Amino acid sequence: MERQNGEPLVRMVNIHKWFGRVYALRGVDFEVYRGETVGLIGDNGAGKSTLIKILSGYHQADQGEIYFEGQKVRISSPRDARKLGIETVYQEQALAPNLSIARNIFMGREPVRRWGIIDRKVMNEESMKALANLGLRLRSPDLPVVTLSGGERQGVAIARALHFKAKLVILDEPTVALSVKEVEEVLEFVRQLQREGISVIFITHNLYHAYDIAERFVVMARGKKMADVKKKDTSPEELSQLVIKSAFAE
Amino acid sequence: MEWVRNFLRYRAANTFLVFIGLVMFFSLLTPNYLFVDRRNLAALGKLFPDLGVVALGVGVLMICGEFDLSVSSVLPFCSYVFVRLLYRGFAPFWAFWAALGVGALLGLLNGLITVKTKMPSFITTLGTMMFWRGVLYIWSKMMPAGIRNLVPSGSLFERTFAGTVGSFFPVQALWFALFAVILGILLHYHRFGNWIYATGDNRDAARAMGINTDLVKTACFMIVGVLCGFSACMQAVRIGSFAATQGIGFELRAIAACVVGGTSLRGGVGSMPGIVLGALTIPILDNGLILLRVPVFGISAFIGIATILFVVLNSYVERKTR
Repeated sequence: MERQNGEPLVRMVNIHKWFGRVYALRGVDFEVYRGETVGLIGDNGAGKSTLIKILSGYHQADQGEIYFEGQKVRISSPRDARKLGIETVYQEQALAPNLSIARNIFMGREPVRRWGIIDRKVMNEESMKALANLGLRLRSPDLPVVTLSGGERQGVAIARALHFKAKLVILDEPTVALSVKEVEEVLEFVRQLQREGISVIFITHNLYHAYDIAERFVVMARGKKMADVKKKDTSPEELSQLVIKSAFAE
Repeated sequence: MEWVRNFLRYRAANTFLVFIGLVMFFSLLTPNYLFVDRRNLAALGKLFPDLGVVALGVGVLMICGEFDLSVSSVLPFCSYVFVRLLYRGFAPFWAFWAALGVGALLGLLNGLITVKTKMPSFITTLGTMMFWRGVLYIWSKMMPAGIRNLVPSGSLFERTFAGTVGSFFPVQALWFALFAVILGILLHYHRFGNWIYATGDNRDAARAMGINTDLVKTACFMIVGVLCGFSACMQAVRIGSFAATQGIGFELRAIAACVVGGTSLRGGVGSMPGIVLGALTIPILDNGLILLRVPVFGISAFIGIATILFVVLNSYVERKTR
């Protein structure tokens, strides 16, 4: 996808973050364009998760600015991020295993009738619709999430983002601990997001998973951005060299 | 057979079956069928809501992933507040609301201490249990305080909390049913119920989805506090007195009732029908065993065995139906 008129959807400028005495982010610039899929790669502890947790409102930056659609914004809670249209599918799976699929998709944003009573009919129908949009057919919206496969669970989390008209979906290690078949399933969900014109940040330390679907790669190491390359200018071999080298560079 | 399987998949199903079994067992085997005797059932219906009402709240709190051990102190504390205010000349109606308010306040305190210190509520409420009991023992000097002349039997207030409907049906059982319905709607049909489940099941997920989990937990602690206040007044009116021993042992019996009703100790799992059945099963077990002439002091052993059996049964059925 080509970049339209040079205006990024999200621009993070000079982001710094300390955790106690740990200097987790050391002045990172990061941007995502409309409809673009960015692979954010790097070793464990490189700062990838911290960076996107700042974007999704889970942490606050100690210094730096965030622009969304050209406007400077303050994202001080997950709620703020979701209001802007930033949805995150967390590594630790933002699903409640014993709750039903529908209750998970609408968690925190339940459709209600009078006095806050949940509108079950709307919730169930909309859930099935959102899942079908992803090409995911599940028996019933009342099944507890724990009965689903790993791939299907990621599908439920992504369906949630799709339903709430996200502009940017952040996938934090969505393929960790999945079988080969399930990984392919998840990648197919991401392609569906791309077809809908949604921007995607795909965080992974397995760059082969990201390589198929991303158009640009950002490599991080020890709290800094080490490289920012378009797919057409690089290869998987070169990228993995970059990850390894930057992890040891001083 | 589809509905049978659906029924069995329902977590409270085995509690229900055991409950029916127990009722039949006691009905047939107690001497002279004493268990189903009108007077016994009336007494049971009068007594079980003391613990039952508290257990309803404790169950909701357990679903959101927390415990409250302080109920056994909050309850007599509220009772003493109620009685002191009556002594000061307040109308029973206002003393009652004040007791509920104090319950809510102590619940709020439990909630705030737990979410702010990020300590397990097992510890924080163990602390508040001991603290409020100590305060109560000093304040009341552990002396019972009668209220018969302030809440005369036959007065409207007395009949509201300790009377009978249709000269037989104990009003306490109706209060229990009312709270069960209200909390059941909250838990299963209201959006706040979904937040309670989400908070107990996966707190990080709930937070990431914008749910204020600290608020949810604190609200659940306050529900327990209010129900303690209610149970305190109901009990004080029935026995016509404050007693420093009111509510002793309720903290663990309430948890046992919830566990028997299929509530998970780890949070996120449980249901109002299950909690109701649990709150009925424990007193029925108590009552039936007494009628079977099991020595009173040994009954605790049976309840202990029952609790363990239910936990094992629940997790077994859960694995089978998944």
